[in-house]
Amino acid sequence: MDPSSLIPAPDSIPVHWGWLHFLFLLTFVLHVLCMNAMLGTGIIALVKSFKGKRQDLPLAKEISLKLPYTIAFTVNMGVAPLLFIQVLYGNFIYTSSVLMGWYWLLIIGILIIAYYSAYLFDFKFDALGSARSIFIAVCVILMLLIAFLFTSNITLMLTPEKWIRYFSNSGGTILNLSEPTLIPRYLHFVCASLVIGGLFLAIVGKIKAKEGNHHYEAMISSGMKWFSYATLVQIIIGFWFAMALPNPIILLFLGDSSLGTLLFFFGLAGAGTALYFGFNKRVWPSAGAAIFTVVVMVLIRDMVRTAYLKPYFSLSDLKVEPQYSPMILFMVTLIAGIGLIGYMLKLATKRKQES
Amino acid sequence: MNYPVWELYYAGGGLLIALMAVVHVYVAHFAVGGGLFLVLTEMKGLRENSTAVLEYTRKHSKFFLLLTMVFSSVTGVGIWFTISLLSPAATSVLIHTFVFGFAMEWVFFILEIVALFLYFYTFNKIDHKAHLILGWIYAVSALISLILINGIISFMQTPGDWLVTRSFWDGFFNPSFWPSMFFRITISLVLAGIFGFITAVFIKDPDFKENMVCYCARWLLLPFIFMVLFAWWYFAAFPDSLKAMILGRSPEIVPLTKIFAAVLPVLFIGGLLMAIRVPGNIKKYMAFVILVIGLVYMGSFEWIREASRRPFLIYGHMYSNSIKIEDEANINKHGFLKTAKWVKHQEISDANMLHAGREIFNLQCITCHSVGGALNDILPLTKKFTVFGMDSQLNGQGKINDYMPKFMGTRMERLALSRYMVEKLHGKADIPTKAAVKELPAPIDPFDEKKDEYILLAWSNIGMRCISDSASWFILTPPGNDISAYLIRRGETPEMVTQGVKLTYKVEPGFEYPSKTVKFWNHAQKFFGKKLPPDIGLTGNGLKGKMKLDDENQVFVADGIPVVPYSADNRYNPYPLFTIEAMDQNSGKRLARTRVVASVSTEMGCKNCHGGKWRMEGVTGISDETASDILAMHDKISKTELLKMAQQGKPYLCKSCHLDANSDTKSKPGVLNLSAAIHGFHANYLTDRDVEACHACHPSSAGGHTQCLRGIHHEIGLDCTSCHGNLEDHALSLLVAEQKAGKKSAKRLMKHLVPTRVDSIGGIKPRNPWINQPDCLNCHIDFNPPETDQTFNQWTKSKDQLYRSRTGDAGIMCQACHSTTHAVYPATNIYGNNRDNIQPFQYQGNPYPIASNKNCKVCHTIDMDEELHHPNSLAMFRNVR
Repeated sequence: MDPSSLIPAPDSIPVHWGWLHFLFLLTFVLHVLCMNAMLGTGIIALVKSFKGKRQDLPLAKEISLKLPYTIAFTVNMGVAPLLFIQVLYGNFIYTSSVLMGWYWLLIIGILIIAYYSAYLFDFKFDALGSARSIFIAVCVILMLLIAFLFTSNITLMLTPEKWIRYFSNSGGTILNLSEPTLIPRYLHFVCASLVIGGLFLAIVGKIKAKEGNHHYEAMISSGMKWFSYATLVQIIIGFWFAMALPNPIILLFLGDSSLGTLLFFFGLAGAGTALYFGFNKRVWPSAGAAIFTVVVMVLIRDMVRTAYLKPYFSLSDLKVEPQYSPMILFMVTLIAGIGLIGYMLKLATKRKQES
Repeated sequence: MNYPVWELYYAGGGLLIALMAVVHVYVAHFAVGGGLFLVLTEMKGLRENSTAVLEYTRKHSKFFLLLTMVFSSVTGVGIWFTISLLSPAATSVLIHTFVFGFAMEWVFFILEIVALFLYFYTFNKIDHKAHLILGWIYAVSALISLILINGIISFMQTPGDWLVTRSFWDGFFNPSFWPSMFFRITISLVLAGIFGFITAVFIKDPDFKENMVCYCARWLLLPFIFMVLFAWWYFAAFPDSLKAMILGRSPEIVPLTKIFAAVLPVLFIGGLLMAIRVPGNIKKYMAFVILVIGLVYMGSFEWIREASRRPFLIYGHMYSNSIKIEDEANINKHGFLKTAKWVKHQEISDANMLHAGREIFNLQCITCHSVGGALNDILPLTKKFTVFGMDSQLNGQGKINDYMPKFMGTRMERLALSRYMVEKLHGKADIPTKAAVKELPAPIDPFDEKKDEYILLAWSNIGMRCISDSASWFILTPPGNDISAYLIRRGETPEMVTQGVKLTYKVEPGFEYPSKTVKFWNHAQKFFGKKLPPDIGLTGNGLKGKMKLDDENQVFVADGIPVVPYSADNRYNPYPLFTIEAMDQNSGKRLARTRVVASVSTEMGCKNCHGGKWRMEGVTGISDETASDILAMHDKISKTELLKMAQQGKPYLCKSCHLDANSDTKSKPGVLNLSAAIHGFHANYLTDRDVEACHACHPSSAGGHTQCLRGIHHEIGLDCTSCHGNLEDHALSLLVAEQKAGKKSAKRLMKHLVPTRVDSIGGIKPRNPWINQPDCLNCHIDFNPPETDQTFNQWTKSKDQLYRSRTGDAGIMCQACHSTTHAVYPATNIYGNNRDNIQPFQYQGNPYPIASNKNCKVCHTIDMDEELHHPNSLAMFRNVR
């Protein structure tokens, strides 16, 4: 059976695909940063909880306070790219989701449990004592599971030739386990979370350190350590991931495409810079390098997706039935929303000046 | 069909979306009203300078945060996940149409999160004004979120001009946008009160607790009246077709509307009770009971809303099974499997039929139906069907009961689906029946052409009397055959004898006591208002008796003979013989004797679709299971209570509502006549089947035990449709007449019927049953051999022009010499080939019409050379054996 005959016909889009593509990548960067901070700090808190050292307690406590936020923003920032990916690649992602229906839906249930575990870890941090480890463990394990299911779906959507499995299993229990990039891809995301999680802690430490609490110095130091070592590991996993990609795709980044090659170079340079600043415990430059690298990696990832789907589909195939006014209204709303968030933060931080 | 289908089976039928959506919607509406509740309650605390109220607000905000931020937002994403798994095609339409609507909602979602976090974490930490502003930003953001999503949800119900313009704004500000929005806003306020109870009942100070519970009760009660008004406005904004669905056309909705209507006052009373001071902890329990009632209320509303869209997901654009309306014609033309993407078999063969059927089942059925699951289980709904019945059900699906989409695809695909459902899901199979009929003796009385002075000609007035042996449930037609007879004194100028003679009739042994084999007499009084002695028919005639003279036609008649096709030993014989004797009234001397078949059958194929088995011997009759299903279906479609009445011992006579032109029973004005109703309804389920459709119900099937088509026309290859048209034509001719008579219900039955013998419905000549029938002379023009064997749309104008009422030029009724309709000489009969030819054999020694082949001597005693009876009557019989 020709897999291309299975690909559902896409619906038309209301604006040029470039707009949607831009919004997709932009919001994905935001989502992935939040997700990394969430998962990374979660893992760090889990490790610290298991180690059970007294001096690690403030760090775990700090993470417990932040987890509900990071989960909330991860979910929230996930909504937008999930929306835009459906507009651009709906015919692929709906299909792969149906193929793994039960697992895909399971995410919702697991997420609720993980979320409430995080809240318990936060609200009952002191009351729970060492039992708190259970909650952070549940939370982290479930988040890792969700990440795995996402990786499975995102790889499955890129490989229509594997969709034929539907004809022997249409019960929604297909996981893309035979995919050679599955594990390195998954680890690449998990390890990135440790990088950004460490960075996030260091940034929180940096901001709070101004208030003069010595715990925050330790937090910066610990955060930057996670950041730097995880970046090292990440580079290795990155190569593994690259090697696992089909040859024509990886060659795009090794000379076949000048844009791809340039991005790959930027990616490596970004990681190298991050390492340099990381080991020197320079938080803000590290953050800059890390964010730069994340953006480059998101672009590389996008090129990889485009290359995977090239035999079947290209975004320019999408039919446009132009209706720009809703998008303009959305842009206005977004800008006003950002302004309003600034205003709210100002209102909320005002107390500090007064108290 | 564009997307693969998740084979959920047990967990299908909308269970997942129901679980996800109902809880989400409940909490999500609370997230809207609750925001306003927080900020207004905080203002109340500030106004009253009450730290207790402020502390309550803070605690409530924590509960609110945990419930809305986690549960509501994740289940909200969950709905998205779920609908994209269950109906990716429809989700895709929503996403592509409203991408920036969703994107704007996302912005307000961010604002909600930021505002709520800040509101909760800065409680008592920043100045009140700033804190209230955060609260207001949350409340307004949540409200706008609701308004945005409302545009998209109401769009699915009433897409309005979007169907033509495809404009975002037309879809968003659709016809039910405003009422739906106001309704949802008031619901969210009511829910704020309900959820307020949950925290208020845990306040420790009893007086303050009462205060706050009362305060929450006001939140529930004050918007309530507006909620009811807006609900009404919302309903009024629906097009009639949607309203009809909600008001009962969709059987799925009926229990939900009952729940919705029952819960509404309970919720209000619950709110009132909460406002009353009661001691102890009762209110704690009450608060949770009200919470559950609220969930039931919200759940039933959303469910009604969802189900009212049937048979669409997006009204007027995409069917419930994700097939776009615009694709329907193409699918029917080229085949479903050929146009679907996610199928293995594009061509159906005997070998892959069941597998292909499963693929069609997945793509067309399981979006709405579970298999053995809790919701909309397909198994009990299809349990009764044979493959034929299932196929017919699919044939008619979505036509009269339009809450389901029609089946889309070819005949072969429909059969594949039917076979899959019956053979695989139910593990049954249709076993083709072959009548095993024993030839019965048909004694022929002697006749001496030279000596005998009289001949006696007798016939049944109709070719087959179909009776329903289901009197405990309903009576379609009661027993009652008519037999007519002529006594002719032979001579050069023969004479019809009507005076001084007595004609009697008597059924063959074994058939004298029909009351022992059918329950008609147990219920006759209820049906006809008069007590009938056993074995006596409605006209007072029994199974033997004297024939009466019909002066007008000079013919002896015994009408309404209650003969049934069951012998005393419960054997089926649809052709019992009657002995007719003519006696001299004075001397009592027998002048002539003959025998005639009174054809009567109970072989009505209702069970083919309505389930159950044959009642008698596995060959005929309407069983209790079949009969009760017929009533259940009638009740479901026409909103009657026939089944309940029958179960209470009050069965109905069909023609007490549906006029039977063949009887003088009073019927209900405005209701379709019996023929139009029955043929019109069933034609929708039996299209494109030619004569198969007739055989499905009438006792004419070649595999049956009656095979009522016995005449020469059948032998030479004509069938029902030759004279009556296909079922669609036949039904339409009846329905057009009813429509012209001003009966509105004809339209519903006609909507999907396409004539086969004429180009359009406009070409159909209306006819009344039992009056306007095909005329023999349509083909046999001037009694000549026909040039065509097809006639449709040419009807007799009145009852006296019917074959059974008509006479030849010499005043002899056509049937006397040619026998009854559907058994004209020479006839064949599976119970013995001469059973229907007794008189030709008796008087002529052949099976041909009386006096055919110039055998005028039968009556005239000499040869004749004038065609006195009708033109061409002296021609030789063509179809000799």
